[in-house]
Amino acid sequence: MDTPDPQSLDRYHRQMLLPGFGEAGQKRLAESTVLVLGCGALGTVAANMLARAGVGHLVIVDRDFIELTNLQRQILFDEQDVEDSLPKAEAARRKIARINSQVRVTAVIEDINHTNIERLAATGEHGPVDCIVDGLDNFETRFLANEVAVKHGIPYVYGGAVGTVGMCYAILPHTESGDSPWEKAGRATPCLRCIFEQAPPPGMNPTCDTTGVLGPVVSIVANYEVVEALKILLGEYEVVNPTLLSIDTWANTTRQLKVARAYEVGNCICCRGRSFEWLAGQYAGGTTTLCGRDAVQLTGAGENRLNFEHIAARLRSHGEVKLNNFMLRAQITDMNEPFELTLFNDGRAIIKGTKQPARARGIYAKYIGA
Amino acid sequence: MSAITVQIPTALRPQAGDHEMLEVEGESVRQVLDGLCQQYPDLGKRLFKNENEVNRFINLYLNDEDIRFLDQLETKVKPGDELAIVPAIAGG
Repeated sequence: MDTPDPQSLDRYHRQMLLPGFGEAGQKRLAESTVLVLGCGALGTVAANMLARAGVGHLVIVDRDFIELTNLQRQILFDEQDVEDSLPKAEAARRKIARINSQVRVTAVIEDINHTNIERLAATGEHGPVDCIVDGLDNFETRFLANEVAVKHGIPYVYGGAVGTVGMCYAILPHTESGDSPWEKAGRATPCLRCIFEQAPPPGMNPTCDTTGVLGPVVSIVANYEVVEALKILLGEYEVVNPTLLSIDTWANTTRQLKVARAYEVGNCICCRGRSFEWLAGQYAGGTTTLCGRDAVQLTGAGENRLNFEHIAARLRSHGEVKLNNFMLRAQITDMNEPFELTLFNDGRAIIKGTKQPARARGIYAKYIGA
Repeated sequence: MSAITVQIPTALRPQAGDHEMLEVEGESVRQVLDGLCQQYPDLGKRLFKNENEVNRFINLYLNDEDIRFLDQLETKVKPGDELAIVPAIAGG
């Protein structure tokens, strides 16, 4: 087999035939930077397709390592990666290098939070990245991504999936100056906070690690995200889907929920008020490594009290769960490591078995949710 | 009284007798939800923050239009309408 020419556009022939692409569009993709936040199920599928489509620079951020139960849906990883205990971002970088050597991948092994997200969003060729694609597993970080998008005028494609259902929505943010190309084209959309005013409280919603997730659902959602991201990168704002797409693959329903009025009528604190509370760390779940105890405490961010019965019912398939009126204690094995998770009804948690705040936040997001 | 279809999201089906869809009578969104929550009180606890307020991480769409931008809970419904309960999806 011939080694592909590093500059050649030959491999994109079938894509360049499509309207809006062509050689000019393809070159535009090659000059683009996309920030992929999270490299789990949604993130691997999105990064894979963005790389194959020829997006020049991908910045992939994830705090986790690969484990066996990821392989059912996280398509960039294989058994060898599990064996090698590779960080997800690095394994994705290595795999993409074999898929498309024309694409530059920056792997960032970090917990995404209010202290680093603006730096991550400024890794584009001329400052801000061209688009943020959502591969996240919690709403706290999504509201951060949303605020970065609105504050810095970066398009952000939200995706979420759990069980057999999923959602996708492209945010072309209203900017302070109002002179972004999508606003000039009259195609700005409400932000995520216009639509969902509040993050679901911890324990309220199912997570993929407690309820399960159908592999194709994450692929479907992530591929919709990539479709919207490609339209955005090509500047084809008039064809960006302005609705919140909601899919239930088991009930056989697809809905395009109309959200356009949310900006005009909703008086959103973020995109109309231009108040960036999540970026300011106002809702950040603080963490403290508990000295000498091999444990990390996470301060709850939710205002709602936790429902221990619901959480216990979901966690029992992972190990022993004990609860009383004040706390819930669960034994969990995650990536072959035992943890003891103690939850208090103000949302505070102590995770025993690690001294690393990022690992503790990961356990919390996976098993309790946010 | 007219019956409309209410779509129950997966996350809330255990609190709604495992139904994907329910036919509920009422003339406004509020009447429909009252009827639903009378039948399934646990669903009510998950949906409502208090008597007059739906939890803000759950949206209600009548024929794919957000009721916050119609007449909120007082939005009138007619036979054949579809009310979808749509919680934010956090997984991924």
